[in-house]
Amino acid sequence: MNIQEYISSGIVESYVLGLADEAERVQFEQMCTRHAEVRAARDAFELSLEQQALAGAVAPPVQMRDTILQQLAAQPASETSSSTRVVQMRPIRRSAVPMAMRYIAAAAIILLVGSAGLNIYYFNKYRDYSQRYDQLLASQTELAKNNSAMQTRMSNYEQTIQGLTNPYMARVTMEGKGVPNNASPDPAGLATVLWDTRTKDVYLMVNNLPMPETGKQYQLWAIVDNQPVDAGMLDMSHGHMMVKMKNIPRAQLFAITLEQQGGSPIPKGPMYVIGKV
Amino acid sequence: MSLLRNRDNKAFAYLYDNYASALYSIVLQIVNDAELANDILQEVFVNIWRRIEQYDMTKGRLFTWMMNIARNASIDTLRSKGYQNSRKNQSIQENVDTLQVKDVIQPGIDTIGLRKVLEKLKDEQRVLIELAYFKGYTHEEIAELEKIPLGTVKTRIRNALIQLRELLK
Repeated sequence: MNIQEYISSGIVESYVLGLADEAERVQFEQMCTRHAEVRAARDAFELSLEQQALAGAVAPPVQMRDTILQQLAAQPASETSSSTRVVQMRPIRRSAVPMAMRYIAAAAIILLVGSAGLNIYYFNKYRDYSQRYDQLLASQTELAKNNSAMQTRMSNYEQTIQGLTNPYMARVTMEGKGVPNNASPDPAGLATVLWDTRTKDVYLMVNNLPMPETGKQYQLWAIVDNQPVDAGMLDMSHGHMMVKMKNIPRAQLFAITLEQQGGSPIPKGPMYVIGKV
Repeated sequence: MSLLRNRDNKAFAYLYDNYASALYSIVLQIVNDAELANDILQEVFVNIWRRIEQYDMTKGRLFTWMMNIARNASIDTLRSKGYQNSRKNQSIQENVDTLQVKDVIQPGIDTIGLRKVLEKLKDEQRVLIELAYFKGYTHEEIAELEKIPLGTVKTRIRNALIQLRELLK
């Protein structure tokens, strides 16, 4: 091989700059030991490279000098390091958890998920039943209320029937058309007084009277020797059933007037019905 | 040399004072990041300190040896996975089709050191030197990257180097 050709092939620069491969490097080093020209060419290129590098140098930060020199001073001097960079082989990371533990963990997770699912299922069921229970409770309350109302009405009816069938009960029919001068606001009005001749208790039964406007109430009067005596207020909510009024020992007439709510000591409002004993 | 071999602090101070700037420039040309270059320079001097026995005078100048340590340390750092990730660098494969001169030669650092000289080369040669010298790719990797035959890569690099020598004279 022509030495000059070899030198000018670019191998010198390739070698110096670290771009030559292993074979080229070995060959070049051999050429250097054998041929002074090659060595000279290498030295020349190295020198020009060094001069160029020094000429175009950029200074590192000033504090770097102390940092680096102190670090070097702290380096263990004994270390004559191995030439090649040791590639760190990192072992594949393996979990230290044994296989059995993994199975247990997997089983635990499955159980947890299953349990969560059951929880949701039962919670929904619970909510469903809870709603139904509330509904049942409400309808039961409603039924009980109705039942108690029915019982009240039943006992009232029984009382009414008892009164009607009582042989000692005097019966006074009060009529709208009986009111003097046709003054009754409701000539078709009709009510009945049942008067126990032994106990002198008075019962009233409305047959036909208009619903009083709010704030007004019917009042029963017993006319004793031309003097009206209060015989009690009438609660229309009892309807056509017999309602116990006050005890009246003696009377010639019974009449009903419409008065302010709660009644009046003397009759002031219009007379609706009247009847003779 | 013997002072260096004995890890003489004054000898290393002398070495630093004379060569730190030149080595720093080389690191900077490769990593183009002053903070990173500081760390690498530190590593370079530690490596010089540790491996000084391995330096063989018959194989070249001390500066050449140190320069290669600086270059290798810089390229290693660039190639280390952590740094790649932190810079969110694209992988070589993603770059293959679009690699252009402007991509491989980072701006701002082409005014120092060898890069200044490289400016005078042809683009196709600059790319190859960039990849081979500053990025540390093997000829095979470059052939694959640039989609040119391996032989052509070798020839072009050699030619570029020959020109480089002329430019350095």
